[in-house]
Amino acid sequence: MKDWKAIAKGAGLDVPGPDLDRIIQALSGLDEAFRPLLTDLSPEIEPATVFHAEESGA
Amino acid sequence: MTIREAVHALRNRRLSAVELATAAILRIDRINASLRAFITVTSGYALERARVADAELRSGHDRGPLHGIPIAVKDVFATRGIRTTGGSKVFENLVPDYSATAVARLEQAGAVLLGKLNMHELAYGITSQNPYFGAVRNPWNAEHSPGGSSGGSGAAVAANMVYAALGTDTGGSIRIPAAFCGTVGLKPTYGRVSRHGVLPLAYSLDHVGPLARSVYDAALVLNAIAGFDPRDDSSSRHPTIDYTPEDGASIRGLRIGFPQNFFFERLDHEVESSVRGACARAESLGAVVKPVLIPEMPAIDAIGRMILLAEASAHMEPYLGERHRFGPDVMSLLEQGRLVAATDYINAQRLRRRARSQFDRLWREVDCLLTPTTPSAAPRTGEPSARLGGAGEDPRLATTRLVRGFNVLGLPALSMPCGLSGSGLPIGLQIIGPAFEEALILRVGAALEAGGVGIPPCQIASA
Repeated sequence: MKDWKAIAKGAGLDVPGPDLDRIIQALSGLDEAFRPLLTDLSPEIEPATVFHAEESGA
Repeated sequence: MTIREAVHALRNRRLSAVELATAAILRIDRINASLRAFITVTSGYALERARVADAELRSGHDRGPLHGIPIAVKDVFATRGIRTTGGSKVFENLVPDYSATAVARLEQAGAVLLGKLNMHELAYGITSQNPYFGAVRNPWNAEHSPGGSSGGSGAAVAANMVYAALGTDTGGSIRIPAAFCGTVGLKPTYGRVSRHGVLPLAYSLDHVGPLARSVYDAALVLNAIAGFDPRDDSSSRHPTIDYTPEDGASIRGLRIGFPQNFFFERLDHEVESSVRGACARAESLGAVVKPVLIPEMPAIDAIGRMILLAEASAHMEPYLGERHRFGPDVMSLLEQGRLVAATDYINAQRLRRRARSQFDRLWREVDCLLTPTTPSAAPRTGEPSARLGGAGEDPRLATTRLVRGFNVLGLPALSMPCGLSGSGLPIGLQIIGPAFEEALILRVGAALEAGGVGIPPCQIASA
């Protein structure tokens, strides 16, 4: 579980309390869906940061 | 009237380009105050271009089917000498000295630009309730959302203000307004249409495509804008073809995948019924409908959201110190993006590559997929929660749930109307194909349209 308040503070995010709570709620939900996906990500898979639709691993 | 019908009227001299442009301007004058589809109307410029189009046709210089056709573009496309706001206070005074490649190609094809269309601020949302330029209204029912972010594009086409429009789609922003406003909307393959000159939302997810009143018309616009552009790093050299479907094009023997998971969970029963009806029609036209399991869609949705948050905040970073220049919903998303770790962004892009590889195996079993575009018809404006399948859901996440994945995968996806809800609102059918198979999904859409899948024109369109 990430400490979003500490991360926000570290990033210098100056947001009113209720707004910060909404941001944290949204990010926590996304993190919950995203984090488990990383468990079996093998090292040879490189990022698609320059993505070309021709690519296919099928 | 569709583009196809207008083409004949122009060639037979029953109508001139100036008459088409004048009619469009009068209509915009009459109904834009209530629909708020346009941010900027370029009447003088349009009439000047229409006069040139008429003179060219008289002299035998025919630029093709878009010659003299009134169109408009979302206000995220750079237009030379014409204000380009991105629907944002940040860019309210931006007047580019060049035009986006897609706009330049439309003008090269003879289209007449009527103006710049309203949208969700910075294309970062699905309601098109723009805090600076007014809330776009749905022509079918002003109390319901037009969708977004290309809400002005959907409303202008549905209300017959223009024959076609350009939109952008980062997580459904062409297909959602197409579904809610009852138009056709096409998100082509990533890299098929140049992003050069388009204000970015998320570089690796942004797509450019048309909204139109028929599948054939959407194909005509794609013909004009598709193709390699060296000014866009993601632009593909994959060859372009004629995307227009032949009259009477057959889908006999085509293998259509009908998802057994994800796409029919938590959705309105009227939507499910209309999409199943379209699928049955495809079968009666000779297609082979195969039940399929779609891999990893919830994961792909999460991957897309992570990438979007990080990329959008990265390029808006210079402006984030001025909170008053953003609407609260957009500011909240931009602030969320500032807290995404670089490692998570990179890993999301790695997961994306793996997801695409896994998804492509599906194309060994079927030629295309049919799904709903959105889980419900247009909700009432300002609904705080979407109630689907007995549970409450964030309306933004609910509305993008069935479309966002195809931005992550970069695959072409068409939305077309397939029915009306009990309250008279359009319902969208989504057709998805393998990369660069736009012609295939357009053929399927045209066959269904010719087979009776569709809706009557919006009543405001004939007002």
